[in-house]
Amino acid sequence: MNSDPDRSGQAGALTVLTPIAHGAEPALRAYLEGLREGASPLARLPRTHFGRWVIVSELVPDDEPQPDRLAGPYLLFTASFDGPLDSYLDELCDELAAEALEIWGRCAGAPQPPTGAPLKAYLRAHHQTTGFFVAAYPQATVGDVRAALAQREDVIAFARAAQGMDPAQLHAAFHDRLGG
Amino acid sequence: MAIAEGSSAGPLTATGTDPRNVDGQAICITVFSTVKWWGRLWLPLVFLYARLVPSAHGKLARLSFIHFARWTLVERLPEQRLRHPHLFFESNFNGGWEEYIDAFSHILTRGMTLFWGSSYGFPKPLPTGRFKDYIKRHQIVASHFYSAYPDATTTIVLSSLELDAKLRDFRQRTQGMDPEAFAHAWRAFVTDVQRCL
Repeated sequence: MNSDPDRSGQAGALTVLTPIAHGAEPALRAYLEGLREGASPLARLPRTHFGRWVIVSELVPDDEPQPDRLAGPYLLFTASFDGPLDSYLDELCDELAAEALEIWGRCAGAPQPPTGAPLKAYLRAHHQTTGFFVAAYPQATVGDVRAALAQREDVIAFARAAQGMDPAQLHAAFHDRLGG
Repeated sequence: MAIAEGSSAGPLTATGTDPRNVDGQAICITVFSTVKWWGRLWLPLVFLYARLVPSAHGKLARLSFIHFARWTLVERLPEQRLRHPHLFFESNFNGGWEEYIDAFSHILTRGMTLFWGSSYGFPKPLPTGRFKDYIKRHQIVASHFYSAYPDATTTIVLSSLELDAKLRDFRQRTQGMDPEAFAHAWRAFVTDVQRCL
């Protein structure tokens, strides 16, 4: 049993909902959608498996039987990451300092500038605890996954190349290329 | 109205997904639904059951295209009074959106009802048509989505990790073998890991 609902094995779930400052939604949306043009800033957080920013203008469609209307839009940030939350937030606040200014800098109540320990405290204060978090490979870190994927390619290439080798060649080539 | 908002990032992909929800092979889905009063009591029990009972994970594992998924009961928002709790669901998966919902409905029929049965307007998982409409109307398109290994499907990741474990074992077992014995062991290894390659 996993007693921490924000964890599945060594993997953690971070869910943060912050109110967007009045009038700031269009610029925030444009900034976030513009991130597609280059490398994602989340690539600089090597413990991040998956991450997303979502602008929540309304929680549910307006023809829902009992809709709660939002007073203003919210920014949802989620990440599936490796290891402890505390050090992950440290890395996020440190490594994404420039982006945080453009993103959480447009959120109501965020520290100005949104960096370091004040940003970390802000994100923690707006964290939503997960109910149920499931991971297909809960013990594998991003590094484990990437290494395993690269090694699989090496094994496939080696298995093809090895088809014509005699035992002595095979033995030597394996230790040279896949010997670990 | 469907609550996918913002300027379009282009036409839907071949998998029927807004390109803003896509990074390589990886696709994200983000859904909120309004929860009836009794869901405030019911859903924490469902979550606890899902965490406590390993067989609850077994059926999810059969959905071999999910990397990570989560359900969260949102009861409070800063600067906003909510009359109802809301269920937040997100998934990171690969494949087509339609196939994803189909598989969810057919394999997790009971589980879907446990999770979403307390949400207003939730149709039964089967037949899938009405459920797909429900998800389409409730999903919100991401403004930015990131995968650390965008070209890898869940199946490839799991195969690669299994292959890694078996290769470590193979290295250990074949230490000190002469070339003839090694060649024999290698052929057996390749046969054993064929489905991982």
